[in-house]
Amino acid sequence: MTDPVATPQVPERRPTDWKGKVMQRRIANRYAAERRFHAMGLGAVLLSVGFLAFLLVTMIGNGASGFRRTEILVPVDFAHAAIRLDPASFRGPGREAALAAADFEGVLFESAQARFGGGVFKILSEGAWLTVRNKVADNPDILKGKADIWVPASSAIDRAAKSGTPDPELDRVRKITDVRTSFDVSFLVGADSTDPTMVGVWGAFKGSLLTMLVTLALAFPVGVLSALYLEEYAPRNRWTDLIEVSINNLAAVPSIIFGLLGLAVFLNVMSLPRSAPIVGGLTLALMTMPVIVIAGRNAIKAVPPSIRDAALGIGASRVQVVFHHVLPLALPGILTGTIIGMARALGETAPLLMIGMRAFVSAPPGGLTDPATVLPVQIFLWSDEVSKGFVEKTSAAIIVLLVFLMTMNGLAIYLRNRFERRW
Amino acid sequence: MNAQNFADAATDSTAGTERDIKMVARDVNVYYGPKQAIKGVSIEIPTDEVTAFIGPSGCGKSTFLRTLNRMNDTVSGARVEGDIRLDGENIYDSSMDVVQLRARVGMVFQKPNPFPKSIFENVAYGTRIHGLASSRGEMEQIVEQSLKRAGLWDEVKDRLNDSGTALSGGQQQRLCIARAIAVDPEVILMDEPCSALDPIATAKIEELIHELRGRYAIAIVTHNMQQAARVSQRTAFFHLGHLVEYGDTSEMFTNPREQRTKDYITGRYG
Ligand SMILES: Nc1ncnc2c1ncn2[C@@H]1O[C@H](COP(=O)(O)OP(=O)(O)OP(=O)(O)O)[C@@H](O)[C@H]1O
Ligand SMILES: [Mg+2]
Repeated sequence: MTDPVATPQVPERRPTDWKGKVMQRRIANRYAAERRFHAMGLGAVLLSVGFLAFLLVTMIGNGASGFRRTEILVPVDFAHAAIRLDPASFRGPGREAALAAADFEGVLFESAQARFGGGVFKILSEGAWLTVRNKVADNPDILKGKADIWVPASSAIDRAAKSGTPDPELDRVRKITDVRTSFDVSFLVGADSTDPTMVGVWGAFKGSLLTMLVTLALAFPVGVLSALYLEEYAPRNRWTDLIEVSINNLAAVPSIIFGLLGLAVFLNVMSLPRSAPIVGGLTLALMTMPVIVIAGRNAIKAVPPSIRDAALGIGASRVQVVFHHVLPLALPGILTGTIIGMARALGETAPLLMIGMRAFVSAPPGGLTDPATVLPVQIFLWSDEVSKGFVEKTSAAIIVLLVFLMTMNGLAIYLRNRFERRW
Repeated sequence: MNAQNFADAATDSTAGTERDIKMVARDVNVYYGPKQAIKGVSIEIPTDEVTAFIGPSGCGKSTFLRTLNRMNDTVSGARVEGDIRLDGENIYDSSMDVVQLRARVGMVFQKPNPFPKSIFENVAYGTRIHGLASSRGEMEQIVEQSLKRAGLWDEVKDRLNDSGTALSGGQQQRLCIARAIAVDPEVILMDEPCSALDPIATAKIEELIHELRGRYAIAIVTHNMQQAARVSQRTAFFHLGHLVEYGDTSEMFTNPREQRTKDYITGRYG
């Protein structure tokens, strides 16, 4: 360190032959290694892009028709139907009860029977009368006469119309009345149903949205605060080591176990409602939190100590150092971890099955405690259905889930880039 | 002569001249875990002068400097013994607020470390957290004044909203000095502030130290003997954790009392 240094005796070295054969071969090997690595990297990227493209193409190929629905024009003769409905009863206070009680199915059946002769149930969707009811609710005056109403076709007719394959029943219907296939708004605003022509994703979408909100509201603050505490405040000792190991293990626990935990704690002990987004959100938050903690700690560790010194050196308190300097600089990294955790939570099915979110829910949830399902579970349920009409609906729901996922990630990446700062 | 005796001698030698003393350290020991980095150092930092800390690498200059504003508190395993007083108040006393101490004893680090925020925000930050400006106008005035005093104003006055990290190394270091003086400290500690700078930037900082002298008590660590001779009035020579010699700079460089000091100053080792 301080003593005068005696120059050590170094043995004489042979001069390096930069042009020699050995050296040339080494250079050639180095170039070959570079090329190999370049090719492998490019190959890996192309492979993943290929898989993604394949997924998107098949999903859009299968699912695009799920957003469309075939409808048949049925002239409904309210005025001459056996069951007479009074327009006045669908106005005013008794409206809801009257709408629920009236036999629209009978009215529609009678008119359709008159038009098509027979096999009405093979032509029209089971839920076709709902369209009639909605029309009447919009304008009770149509009950005074005759109205042409577009009602959804049965699943078989729907598939035949979309695929273009010749179908005797469809041809017969076409001769009698108009048939059209158009964009199906009810798929985007409806909920689950037993009839594939009547299903919608909004119920599951809203369920996912509410569940994710609960997850984010819980996992993000708790995860970030834990990470900050562990990195900036906690003393380094056996307890913090233990906590660190536990959190790392928690991040690796299979998701179904979290479902069992949710079932035992939230449903059995805390008696929260079954199938509700709040329970789903809590369960997924347990799963997401460790991911955020780990990513957060790494991001906080990466903040240069010189920034902390600088702030402390002019008299910032520890809380000020953390919230004015460390957290803003670590935020992009924390957000990256949050994206990964939330994307995983959004696609999760198993733990939600355990807490009853696989129930058949035919109305979108109104709040956090209403029965609900989520998109991936809905996809799982539809893929399990026997009726052929569910195939395209399953693919369509997958497209919706992917769009949801991409929107969420896009938003998070936008936020991350806004916070990104260099030092 | 051991360090303790020397410290007494130093005190004696200063007794005659009129000197305002800002900080006093007595028998300071600093440990990193089991390793002792500072061994029984006693020293006085006068109010209106620049004190230079010199010595070979690893002798404990930075460690000692950091005990003066308790930056060693943040190093896990570091332990400080002894008595360090700022205007007679023991800074390691439980009644001393660390945050306030660090505002009163500012620090400039070896490597420029501006915040990744705007130039304005860099200088305003300390003022803001200590509530030293009551209005936006006053804040702007403090920022301008600090940047002027740090000799940076003319270079940055049109780009106060640019990032502090976008400046050159020398400008960054002057920004850090402006940041330190913006909270109006009583003492400024500088740990090799010019080690990353070219001669022109170094000259600017030395000029700056000249101007700041008299307003603040300044302690500066440097490896550059010429720099110590140029900027300081008092010099302390550290070796292996001991304070070997402490006295007037002019005397130390022309007529050192200790052989080790002489060897170091003349470049025989280090
Ligand atoms: N955080 C730390 N943990 C353990 N030992 C440390 C730590 N910081 C410094 N030391 C040790 O304390 C001694 C003094 O270090 P210090 O940084 O004060 O030296 P210095 O005089 O500033 O050297 P330089 O001129 O190279 O900056 C050295 O032996 C160093 O190894
Ligand atoms: Mg040092």
